[in-house]
Amino acid sequence: MLTKKILSLVFLFCTAAPILHAQDGEKESNLKAAFIYSFTKYIDWGNYNNNDAFVIGVLGDNTPIISPLREIAERNTINYKRIEIKIIQGLPEEKDCNIVFISKECRFPLSDVLAYAGRGVLTISEENGYASMGTDFNFVIINDKLKFEANLNALASSGLKAGSQLLKLAIIVSGS
Amino acid sequence: MSIRKKLVLMQVFTTVLVLIIMMIVFIASDIKEYKLRKVDSMLGIAQVLGTNSISMLQFQDQAAAIEMLAQLHNVSPEIIAAEITNNHGQVFARYPAAGEPEFSLAAGMKENSLFRNSRLLIKYPIISSKEKIGDIHLIVQLTELQKLMKSTYKVALFLLLLSVGFAFLVAFFIQSYVSRRLLNLVRTMKKAVSTGEYTVTIADEGKDEIGTLIQVYSKLMEQIKENEKKKDEFIGIASHELKTPLTTVKGYIEMLKLMETEHPKIDFVESAFKSVLKLEDLIKDLLDVSKIESGQLQLAMENFDISRLVDATISSVQMISATHNIVRKGQMENEIIYGDIKKIEQVLTNLLSNAIKYSPGEQKVIVEVEKDEKELTIKVRDFGIGIPVEEHSFIFERFYRTKGSSVHISGFGLGLYICRDIIRRHNGKIWIKSMEKGTTFIFSLPISKKTQIV
Repeated sequence: MLTKKILSLVFLFCTAAPILHAQDGEKESNLKAAFIYSFTKYIDWGNYNNNDAFVIGVLGDNTPIISPLREIAERNTINYKRIEIKIIQGLPEEKDCNIVFISKECRFPLSDVLAYAGRGVLTISEENGYASMGTDFNFVIINDKLKFEANLNALASSGLKAGSQLLKLAIIVSGS
Repeated sequence: MSIRKKLVLMQVFTTVLVLIIMMIVFIASDIKEYKLRKVDSMLGIAQVLGTNSISMLQFQDQAAAIEMLAQLHNVSPEIIAAEITNNHGQVFARYPAAGEPEFSLAAGMKENSLFRNSRLLIKYPIISSKEKIGDIHLIVQLTELQKLMKSTYKVALFLLLLSVGFAFLVAFFIQSYVSRRLLNLVRTMKKAVSTGEYTVTIADEGKDEIGTLIQVYSKLMEQIKENEKKKDEFIGIASHELKTPLTTVKGYIEMLKLMETEHPKIDFVESAFKSVLKLEDLIKDLLDVSKIESGQLQLAMENFDISRLVDATISSVQMISATHNIVRKGQMENEIIYGDIKKIEQVLTNLLSNAIKYSPGEQKVIVEVEKDEKELTIKVRDFGIGIPVEEHSFIFERFYRTKGSSVHISGFGLGLYICRDIIRRHNGKIWIKSMEKGTTFIFSLPISKKTQIV
């Protein structure tokens, strides 16, 4: 399966070159895409899961994560639904998504983005400090390793439950 | 080795063999079961661990994975090492960091468990959403098994020794059931052969082959007894029948002796008479033996002077012996003996004529009379061919004549048998001593008058 391929590429990369340079942005994005896919295994969307497709919305037009996300979407399903990757042009479109990825290339201010992210929408960002500002998950690089922060209050307001297996690996952050 | 020992050893050997086989089987199956159980429980642990490490693999949290594996070792110290590998066999997390040599075998493992060098190697796939994302390997030290085996061997050895001792004890008691009857038979047979008495019967109720053996032996003994009886009857009848015509012949020859005076007729008659006398002696011996066997031999007891009898007997024997010189040694003692004078004379005559017969050529024969408080001893010594030591116990038997003598000895071989019987009846003893040249025959008679004669 493609995820396996990606994951194994990632591991190969990790064991061979533990230092993650900024120039390896492509590799970092592949990893983030894989992580996002893996997140979904540990999150319960509950009643907020009524669409026929699982929609991952991306904020930021040319952000490098789009490509690996699309590859994953082609070969995999989430909760037995096909995956749809949507490039969000206008914030109202957020309500149609299950996940909203706020990339570095996002033009909108965070507070606006979060305002439109209602219940049942998982927000994931990749900018230092965003988790404490209210995103559910936030990717960070620590000691050249890709890690993620989790904001439990944000998750609660989103009405989503995250499994302990996931949370215990996350860096727990507090904030609005 | 006696049959007793053989039986005991047989039983003990069988017991030990059976025990050893059983112990080996049980111990082997115990070990096998233990191993299976161990594998099962370790696989269970591996499965749980694998499941718990799915997220760590997915999010590449090596630190968390290593910590989890470290915890494992604290909880289950027999698991001395553990590692998680990805699908390419590369190590994701490992505890302890140095690893163990057995990990290198893990990749090649076809089964999920492998026993090697008192260690157990476990391999279990980590599966997420029906997809394998890696493997978890455990190395288990089998110290528990080693301890178990040591104590098992100790117990087994102890039980074995105990059983051997017990087996000996039981075998010892059981074997007597078989060997007792056999040994009894052997003892009886030995006795019968040595004493010549075939009358001892054996009580035995067994229905097995030993019982058959005893029955056949008893039947054989009966047959021998029958034969003996028939032989004795024959001797009795034969000697009696022979005696009658012989008396007639003797009488007529005696008359002829008186009537004939011319040579050669008188010579013929003398020769015939000598032969008749000899015939008479032989038949008399046979008759005596028959009487002894049937218990009819009577003794005419009286007090008489043994010394005078010895002298008289020597004279009469000397008279018919031209070649030999019979000498009496020792003091001329007057001693009164209570016995049958004719029978004692018969004994003396027999010994003297034997002495002469068995020392051909010009020889001496010495007679000696000795006395102490309890008994009187008479010795007759010759310097002839002698009697070999092997034959000493046989010469007093009926019809026994010495073997291997170049001299032709006449007679049935009954003389000494009759002598022995007579002396025994007088409560005396008769025996023989071989000298470098010749033989000494010795018999003793009790002196006390109060002795009861059989």
